[in-house]
Amino acid sequence: MGLVKKEEYAFDTMPGVDVVLTKIDYVVNWARSNSLWPLTFGTSCCAIEMLMATGGPRHDLARFGAEVTRPSPRQADLLILAGTIVKRMAPRLRTLYDQMAEPRYVIATGACTISGGPFLYHSYSTIRGADEIIPVDVYVPGCPPRPESLLHGLLTLQKLIKEGQTIRKPGVRHKPVISEIPEGVSREDITAEMVELLEHDSVVNIEETLGNLERPTGI
Amino acid sequence: MSVNITTLDERTRVTSEADSALDTEEYFVNMGPQHPATHGVLRMVLKLDGETIKEVIPVLGYIHRSIEKICEHSTYRQIVHLTDRMDYLSSIMNNWAVSLTVEKAANIELTERIEYIRTIVAELERIHSHQVAWGVMGMDLGAFTPFLYGFRDRELVTDILEETIGARLTMNYIQPGGVMFDIHPNFVKKVKEYIAYFRPKLDEYEDLMSGNPIIQQRLRDVGTMDGETALSYGATGPVLRASRVPYDLRKIEPYGVYGKADFNVAIGTAGDCWDRYYVRIEEMRQSIRIIEQLIDNIPEGKFMVKKPAVKIKVPEGRYYGHVETARGVLGVFIVSQGKDIPYRMYFRTPNFHNLWCTTAIAPGGRIGDLVAITASLDLVIPDIDR
Ligand code: SF4
Repeated sequence: MGLVKKEEYAFDTMPGVDVVLTKIDYVVNWARSNSLWPLTFGTSCCAIEMLMATGGPRHDLARFGAEVTRPSPRQADLLILAGTIVKRMAPRLRTLYDQMAEPRYVIATGACTISGGPFLYHSYSTIRGADEIIPVDVYVPGCPPRPESLLHGLLTLQKLIKEGQTIRKPGVRHKPVISEIPEGVSREDITAEMVELLEHDSVVNIEETLGNLERPTGI
Repeated sequence: MSVNITTLDERTRVTSEADSALDTEEYFVNMGPQHPATHGVLRMVLKLDGETIKEVIPVLGYIHRSIEKICEHSTYRQIVHLTDRMDYLSSIMNNWAVSLTVEKAANIELTERIEYIRTIVAELERIHSHQVAWGVMGMDLGAFTPFLYGFRDRELVTDILEETIGARLTMNYIQPGGVMFDIHPNFVKKVKEYIAYFRPKLDEYEDLMSGNPIIQQRLRDVGTMDGETALSYGATGPVLRASRVPYDLRKIEPYGVYGKADFNVAIGTAGDCWDRYYVRIEEMRQSIRIIEQLIDNIPEGKFMVKKPAVKIKVPEGRYYGHVETARGVLGVFIVSQGKDIPYRMYFRTPNFHNLWCTTAIAPGGRIGDLVAITASLDLVIPDIDR
């Protein structure tokens, strides 16, 4: 059905010569996704877990190429929203987002930036979800999320970037949430396809894989 | 007494004009709300003359989450989880402050075991809070290694706490009438192992940072505050004790089982950034001592006195209770009308009072010193704004 895309082989080698063939889009996206520079933006509790513990020695964000946290928005392209956004901070957050380098990505971590979290009811000052102010690419739930969740969120974002923008259509981005299901497709179809793919991924046929390695498929 | 109310606009008007090319002119610079050295979204308006600070005006409200208002709609057990989010590095101690006040008001008797568990986990958390303070201070002064060392050891504390509590940061552990869960069977063993591990590491901390000439020069005789000023600004915790005032609630009004433990209150002599830094190192040593004395003697008993009652009714009246968190005295004031929710709840948070010390000690210094000062005050911004 093609709703869930499988990753294709992006590199191809020419037999006999040391040349690698690839697509420019792939290379650009690959470089982008592995050198995300986050902005040091932590407003409250989540900042300790997201920016400090994840950047710390055990979880080590540097493994994923995203450890160069920048205090200035002009040098950053990833905004990790860690912590509650209140009404007074909202205009500043929008300014920070606008000042960031294009293409910019946003990961919203914690219940607060998703929905308002513990301050959802009876609070007169919090913003119920950061996506009321800026577009968000990946949501990481938790209060606070574990550092591992942020790493998963980061990997998800990297996947999105790799699949997403092309030179022909700049600005077009794959969204993590499918808001509208195309006509003629039911929810069950998607689930079935997902299950099939997951099963396919979890059962590895070694001989088949080895065969693939010798003879890479073309682009 | 009259109070002058001025707006920020009036205070940030430039008063002196340069009248020759060589003359200097005052100007204003915003530090924050997005600034890496303020540990969050604190905004300080600085009145500068060259690089010398003339005046510091803290501007608050960038993370005001109206916790006190939400408390007026929540039962006492729900309020406990909100206090986690105020000073998240001493969340257990914040839980304790609310629980203590409610227990005092509702006349809930506790078992020995509860008091022991509470004291031990609170001291563990004090250690991890000071580790973060130590590491972040190094980072603010330009050294990245302390941050890695501090977080390496903090992760091990959170592992121990996570095993019992199930959370890494926002613990929500101490409840009115006891603690949420009994301690994990491994708890005692792991805490002992950790203490054996951490004691030599603490000496390593000192080798790494305390003796470093750059750190010494950045901290010594910077931001000196005498005891009088500290008291008049309402500073508490390590900030007050560094100014030679031996005020520690754990000693003066022992709660929990601090009365049974033998420990010393660390105080500084000069009240500069260095003393505030060193008081924290010494407090980690004292916390280790407290834990060592208590860990073997946890008595048997219940960890929660009654069945967890969702609705605890507090008799009509006004109640105040306070505890010593890692950053100072957290006071809880409850106005009750005899219902299961408070009529009004007020938190006297330590960081709010510690913050205003910058207005007294930063003027006259350089901008770089202000970073050292805020690092040594160890501010947690959501605790200021609540
Ligand atoms: S989601 Fe939870 S931990 Fe994160 S900022 Fe909000 S209250 Fe704090």
